[in-house]
Amino acid sequence: MKFADFMCESAICVDIKATDKVGVIQELVGSLVSAGQVKEEDRDSIVEAIMKREELGSTGIGRGVAVPHTKHSSVESLIGTVGVSAEGVEFDSLDGEPVQLLFLLVSHPDRPGDHLRALENISRQLRDDTFCRFLKQSKTAQDIAQLLEEADNNQFAS
Amino acid sequence: MRIIILGGGTVGSWIAETLCPNHDVTVIDTNPEVIQRLNDHLDVQAFVGSAIDSTLLFQAQTLTMDLCLAVTGDESKNVLAASMAKRMGCRRAVARIHSPVMFDKSTFDYETEFRIDRLISLEELTAIELAQEIRTPGSVVVEHVARGSIKVQSVTLSPKAKILGVSLKELKLPGSVRVGSITRVDEQTQEKTTRLARADDVLQAGDQILLIGDDEDVDAMLDKALKNKKKKEVVIAGGGNVAVYLATILESGPYDAILIERDLERSETLATQLPEVTVLHADATYRQTLLEEHVEKTDFFVACMGDDESNIMTSVEVDDIINSTDGVERDDKTIVCVVSRPDYAQVISRLGIDRAISPRTAMVEQVQTFLTTGAVISTNSLPDTDIGVYEIEVQPGSAAEEHVLVNLALPLGKCLIAAVSSQGEARVPRGDDHFKAGDYVVALIHADAVDDVVEKFSGSSR
Repeated sequence: MKFADFMCESAICVDIKATDKVGVIQELVGSLVSAGQVKEEDRDSIVEAIMKREELGSTGIGRGVAVPHTKHSSVESLIGTVGVSAEGVEFDSLDGEPVQLLFLLVSHPDRPGDHLRALENISRQLRDDTFCRFLKQSKTAQDIAQLLEEADNNQFAS
Repeated sequence: MRIIILGGGTVGSWIAETLCPNHDVTVIDTNPEVIQRLNDHLDVQAFVGSAIDSTLLFQAQTLTMDLCLAVTGDESKNVLAASMAKRMGCRRAVARIHSPVMFDKSTFDYETEFRIDRLISLEELTAIELAQEIRTPGSVVVEHVARGSIKVQSVTLSPKAKILGVSLKELKLPGSVRVGSITRVDEQTQEKTTRLARADDVLQAGDQILLIGDDEDVDAMLDKALKNKKKKEVVIAGGGNVAVYLATILESGPYDAILIERDLERSETLATQLPEVTVLHADATYRQTLLEEHVEKTDFFVACMGDDESNIMTSVEVDDIINSTDGVERDDKTIVCVVSRPDYAQVISRLGIDRAISPRTAMVEQVQTFLTTGAVISTNSLPDTDIGVYEIEVQPGSAAEEHVLVNLALPLGKCLIAAVSSQGEARVPRGDDHFKAGDYVVALIHADAVDDVVEKFSGSSR
């Protein structure tokens, strides 16, 4: 599975304003709403579902990266977006580091296989330090979209 | 290689310690003290939590790991955790189990249903190592591969074997069996050489051959290979799972096994479970028992009771009895002993014990076979050769899935595809064989041709 299969370029946020976990997630879900990927009426329940998952255990996987995710019946297929926070946000990561780079994923409950493959692909690509560094330094959504495309073409981690 | 070990107990910690100098190791355990100790002493990442907590597995990046070893003390947790790891995207998953029933596929195939690459049992691995000391010391230690459907076993041909003097292509081997390699000692130079078997090879007495194929067919072949070989006596002290696995393995060879178990109820169960074995209800730690059973006459004595001290002391007693009996040559008696504590192993040879088998060493050796990449599941080398026994998965989109075997252009003389297992059925592959994704093959490959061969079975990367 490739980033192009589920990433929404118009929802990418390169300058996250929020400074806490819930704020960041609200902001990223908000950008999916603005991009027309999520209906306004589903916004709060998606944020709530993601936060509920975070309460069970953080999705901060270390090295300044987090992958908040959930399943929600309001979306038809996998949708995802990327957020960058220059300041970094406290996310209860295993290594205790604040998170600067977030990949947020929402998928339909009936497609568990796709959901796992998307998470696997994100995790695999994020193993590459260069990829993460470039993403964190990105100033525009186009920069990020281009990096995702390059990753899809196997230019970073295998 | 990136490895996640679930369970930091004796086995998990030992594996972590062995692997961490060369690999990127993560350990998860519920006990904070265990995690603290691992973090303090080893170059690993260790986290407190449950092996089946999906959020922790996610955070610990199980999704991108190369190998997951689920080795907690709870077998059901291990099966579940390994299955989760595999489904999440971890390349290979192995679970440690205790119950022999989990190896039996007649009602439920745990490996296949849970999509686990291998179930391993510390008791079975220990028994395999013990059996190796009895059967063919110094040969490759493999027993079952391809989710249990293919047996690999090395055997030394007796002079009366029914398969001598004819070429392999003329030999009527049972349906699924193939001779993989032949190890022969040159009569003049006494030099030992091992090579891949060819159709025109003629077997000689004394050859050590590697048989590969379905369980029953390999056993039938063993029978022919060992024909009329004088039965050797093996006395097994202890009636635990190790003893049961050992007795079962020895059943297919020319051995008379006597098992000594001190618990009455257990010995009755064993007698029913192992009809070929003579089960005695007695305490092997008493010299009197050993004298009554004439251990000085036995060919092999194996101590595999529950604790190291009993095993060592009983073995020392046996050594003493053998040496104090007049007219008996000491050299043809072998004493093998299970010793769990690694520090004890150092002094064993001074005590007259021929070989100590350590369960955790057996486990670590087994784990080493899974340190593979791509389509390879496990690999074992044939001792003193550059030939390896490879268990390979046919991946979707691979050349092996596309072409028939003869058109695969495998390196000539460097590789022998000895067996293929399709949906649990083993067969000898033929030139026009067409493999399917998900099939397993067992191949003998020379080191310099491995990449070339494995590539034919590997699909495009995800």
